[in-house]
Amino acid sequence: MAEKLEARDVSKNYGGVRALKNVTFTAYRGKVNVLVGENGAGKSTLMKILSGSEQPTSGEIRLDGEPVRLGSPRDAQALGIGIIHQELSLFPNLTIAENMFAGRELRRGGRFVDERAQKRRTREVLARLGQEHLSPDTLVGDLPIGQQQLVEIGRVLLTDVSVLIMDEPTSALSHHEVDVLFGVMAELREQDVTVIYISHKLDEFRRIGDWVTVFRDGSLVAHESMSRTDTGWIVRQMVGRDPDSLYTHNSAPTGDVLLEVRGLTAEGPVRPLVDDVSLTVRAGEVVGVYGLMGAGRTELVECLMGVRKASAGTVSIRGAEEPKATVQARLAAGLALVPEDRQRDGLVQTMSVRDNILVSTIGRFARTGILRGERERRTAAGQVKELAIKIPGLAAAVTSLSGGNQQKVVLARALLTEPVVLLLDEPTRGIDVGAKAQIAELMARLAAEGYGVLFISSELAEVRAMADRVLVMARGRITAEFAAADVTEEGLVAASASERALS
Amino acid sequence: MIDTKVPAPAPPAARGGRHDTLARAALLLLRGRTLVVLVVLVIFFSAISSEYLTQSNLILMTKHVAINAILAIGVTFVILTGGIDLSVGSIAGLSSMVAGGLLFTGLHVPGGTVFFSVAVVVVIGIVVGALVGAVNGLLVTRFKVAPFIATLGMLYVARGAAQLLSNGGTFPDLAGTDARGNTGFHVIGVDSWLGIPVAVWIMVVVAAGAIVLTTKTPFGRRIFAVGGNERAATLAGIRVNRVKIAVYVLSGCCAALAGLLLTSELGAAYPDTATTYELNAIAAAVLGGTALAGGRGTIVGTVMGAFVIGFLSDGLVLVGVSTFWQSVVKGAVIVLAVVTEQAQQRLQSGLAKRVA
Amino acid sequence: MNSMRRFLVPAGVAALLALSACSSSSDDSSGGESAAPAASKLIVVITPSPDNVFFKAEQDAAAAEAKKLGYETLVLSHDDDPTKQSQEIDTAISRKAAAIILDNAGADSSEAAIQRAKDNKIPTFLIDREINKTGVAVAQIVSNNAQGAGLGGQEFAKLMGNKGEYAELTGKATDTNAGVRSQGYHGILDQYPDMKMVAQQSANWDQAEALQKTQTILQAHPAIKGIIAGNDTMALGAWAAVQAAKKDIVVVGFDGSPDVVNSITKGGIKATVLQPASKISQMAVQQADEYIKNGKASQPEKQSIDCVLVNADNAASVTDFAVAGS
Repeated sequence: MAEKLEARDVSKNYGGVRALKNVTFTAYRGKVNVLVGENGAGKSTLMKILSGSEQPTSGEIRLDGEPVRLGSPRDAQALGIGIIHQELSLFPNLTIAENMFAGRELRRGGRFVDERAQKRRTREVLARLGQEHLSPDTLVGDLPIGQQQLVEIGRVLLTDVSVLIMDEPTSALSHHEVDVLFGVMAELREQDVTVIYISHKLDEFRRIGDWVTVFRDGSLVAHESMSRTDTGWIVRQMVGRDPDSLYTHNSAPTGDVLLEVRGLTAEGPVRPLVDDVSLTVRAGEVVGVYGLMGAGRTELVECLMGVRKASAGTVSIRGAEEPKATVQARLAAGLALVPEDRQRDGLVQTMSVRDNILVSTIGRFARTGILRGERERRTAAGQVKELAIKIPGLAAAVTSLSGGNQQKVVLARALLTEPVVLLLDEPTRGIDVGAKAQIAELMARLAAEGYGVLFISSELAEVRAMADRVLVMARGRITAEFAAADVTEEGLVAASASERALS
Repeated sequence: MIDTKVPAPAPPAARGGRHDTLARAALLLLRGRTLVVLVVLVIFFSAISSEYLTQSNLILMTKHVAINAILAIGVTFVILTGGIDLSVGSIAGLSSMVAGGLLFTGLHVPGGTVFFSVAVVVVIGIVVGALVGAVNGLLVTRFKVAPFIATLGMLYVARGAAQLLSNGGTFPDLAGTDARGNTGFHVIGVDSWLGIPVAVWIMVVVAAGAIVLTTKTPFGRRIFAVGGNERAATLAGIRVNRVKIAVYVLSGCCAALAGLLLTSELGAAYPDTATTYELNAIAAAVLGGTALAGGRGTIVGTVMGAFVIGFLSDGLVLVGVSTFWQSVVKGAVIVLAVVTEQAQQRLQSGLAKRVA
Repeated sequence: MNSMRRFLVPAGVAALLALSACSSSSDDSSGGESAAPAASKLIVVITPSPDNVFFKAEQDAAAAEAKKLGYETLVLSHDDDPTKQSQEIDTAISRKAAAIILDNAGADSSEAAIQRAKDNKIPTFLIDREINKTGVAVAQIVSNNAQGAGLGGQEFAKLMGNKGEYAELTGKATDTNAGVRSQGYHGILDQYPDMKMVAQQSANWDQAEALQKTQTILQAHPAIKGIIAGNDTMALGAWAAVQAAKKDIVVVGFDGSPDVVNSITKGGIKATVLQPASKISQMAVQQADEYIKNGKASQPEKQSIDCVLVNADNAASVTDFAVAGS
């Protein structure tokens, strides 16, 4: 087993903060080397150093046993090290083929872009990624996030890489897409390519990884062959405690029906995005909605919240129908949404923590039109304490918080609107394990306080662990419903691929 | 999230403390840069001309600032929501011509000509500005026209309307007559109260109102939310379209008021009144630290920006610098201001990272 | 939806191309050898913005004279923008105008456009402002700005008692007349050793700018006894500042606009120099008419019309840029 890429005794300081502490990491040739750890544990910093976009404060990098200097991403590329970032770096206004070859267009006659050859090779790559149904002429901006991620991966596959670093590539992929990606990774492994794979998803990387390396607080805490580990061991290494305590299951007794949806339908370009959906949420109940990307889950909560226009159906809250379907009316009726994409739909990045928490309910803090600063401060501080949000101060920029704390800010805002039913769209996406556990605990606590909770998730483990009742969506329809006791992974996966609506 | 971008090479940890103190001092200086620039300007010009730092000149310069400051305050509301208003100069011209026409020729109605009192004329002038602003707002919200395009169109439409009102001519005498009951228009632009021009008092009132509106009211908070992240604001239950229409109306009102002050001071209304003033107003807002992307900025900063532009222009005239150089210097100051803003942002995030 | 968008965009581009193709083809036909001069009865009048009453009078007089002689007219304004002027001359060419009456947007930047009209066999008659080149326009009828400025300068010196501090407001620097007038003033004023110019600023022919700059100048130089302005709008702005400062200062303008003449009759502004705008416009149209009929110019190209001083003595007899009886 040969060492391909090594970091020896590498440290990285940002100002006074040590992001990496004397880390020695080895990636083996022709293997899938998995890196895990909570956010801020140092994984991404190490990957930036290995891909040339950051320089280590001390230590050295070796490739095939030789010390190398990776002064820039270009240096790394020249040595055959490619990286797929967590954030997409695609041009939404260009086609798939144009994106694949952006910056390194194929030429004809030395000058003109050879579009035909580009499209041909794009089709080949798309086929390799199981996306042969996509046209190279499709605009990337029109693709769902999961497919955009695949395009990003395809871009790297086009170059000759001997080391491929993937930073959480599956966070936006559906199950089918993940399978395809893992197929590609297995194929790359056959071709002696070294894969370094960063992931949060315990159930996924165990399927593909050969070696697992665990980071915690800037240090490498464990390095082990995957076959000699189990999920519990990995989680213990990551958080330093037992994984069973990760998710809190709701045990509150259920009460009255708080939310009743009947025949909700939203039209889409081809087929309805939400197709005749009916569901109920009771007081004290945590209802999970499982489904793949594009199943219509986000569109469903958008319709409920009045952001998206429904073409048919009724929404009743506490037994009263709410016909206006504006965000304001639904908020007033008692719904509140914590959106999937925090950065895009949740946070106002230019505002402080306090202002973000209060923005939905700011009208309440004014007397004769003038805001009462002390009441604002008290309320915001109360929420921060209640949800245990870690902040430098109420006036701090909301962007200075970690993902989990940002999520809590959005949640605090939603709770201030005094909802009866909370809608949470992928509440744990992009936050670390510790924060996930806190969010799960919060959801259970809210249910115990008599709220109804409807949450969306595409992580099997999470849905199973947190929901009292699971609804499965596919192609805009509810295709199955399980009670907590009856949920099986097989059942969820089968229903999420189903064409038939549950009647 | 945490370990993503980190700017600027960090100093060795051991010396961090002293560097931080220096950085903090620099940041303080940068935050107050508009004020710093203003103080430097005053010192510079008073060293050259003994007339610069006299009470009467300061009052006069402040009066010149007033018009641009009021325009700029209106524009700041719009920029804070992430929009832009290019039509304020033309709105000022239009309200100037409406007021001028009502005072000079009156309103022709079947059976004769009606003259309104000055107070009514001023109100009508401001209402005209509000209406034009409302049209801007509707174009931006209901018809989804990009603010730049909508208000650029309005820049031409309102200017053309101003010219149509007099067929291109000037209303030369706005003094009014006792018989018509419309004397006294000069009060807002020419007269003084307690030794300070009425126009300056009006600026103070407008600025104070705008400061309260932006910092102390729910509406102000919503303006910042809409400008910071429109989608998030929508989901938070803010009626985004209403907020946007409101800021264009406010901008229209401010523009109209500025046009009336200018006209009153001049004692004549001509259709080219306040041509290209929108650029001065936007420059003042940007100088004062308002981000064109929206969500960041203060009214105080904008007013300071207007003071810098006004004190600079008048200073250059006072010491006899040619028009061409005045233009060069003004442009350079605006660009420098934005450059320092970038430096401030970098320093700020650098410090935040170190503290974190 | 996407396929729709991607269809619409090329369709829109195609439509635009088709449109521009149409317009350019019509240009070609008018520019070709088939152009028949004097076939039309259209006279195109192009002047700066009629915001300034002077140019408005110019436009009105030219249009009225042309109508009287049986022509159609197209009155355009270039707002002192040479690019816009060039486009308007293209319009005249494509409309196959019989003649262009032009108060141009700048001496050097206008020659090419006038040459283009000439190449298309359309004669241009310049009024009010000259160009440097001869042989391009058929006639250049201008008021004698230098002579007028001399008159204004003399009157200004007399009003100031040949001594004291004064300020000058000049016009837009790109405009030839701004320089000619300023030189004309100084040709006289610099002969008086006791007269001292303490400030000179451009107010770009603009009333509000003149007001603010005058106010600032008065701050810097409180002893100023006179302000001489390159045109009447600036004189009006300066006068507003003088009134606000409640000072006794001599203001002299240039143009002879009704507002200033009115002010003179009331004892406000002291004097202005009247340019016979209406007369020049009429002359240009008459000469154009002769040229269209006879195919050749009846007068030499450069014609200079003298200006008339307007002060308290004769202000009452001035209407529409003409002194009664002159």
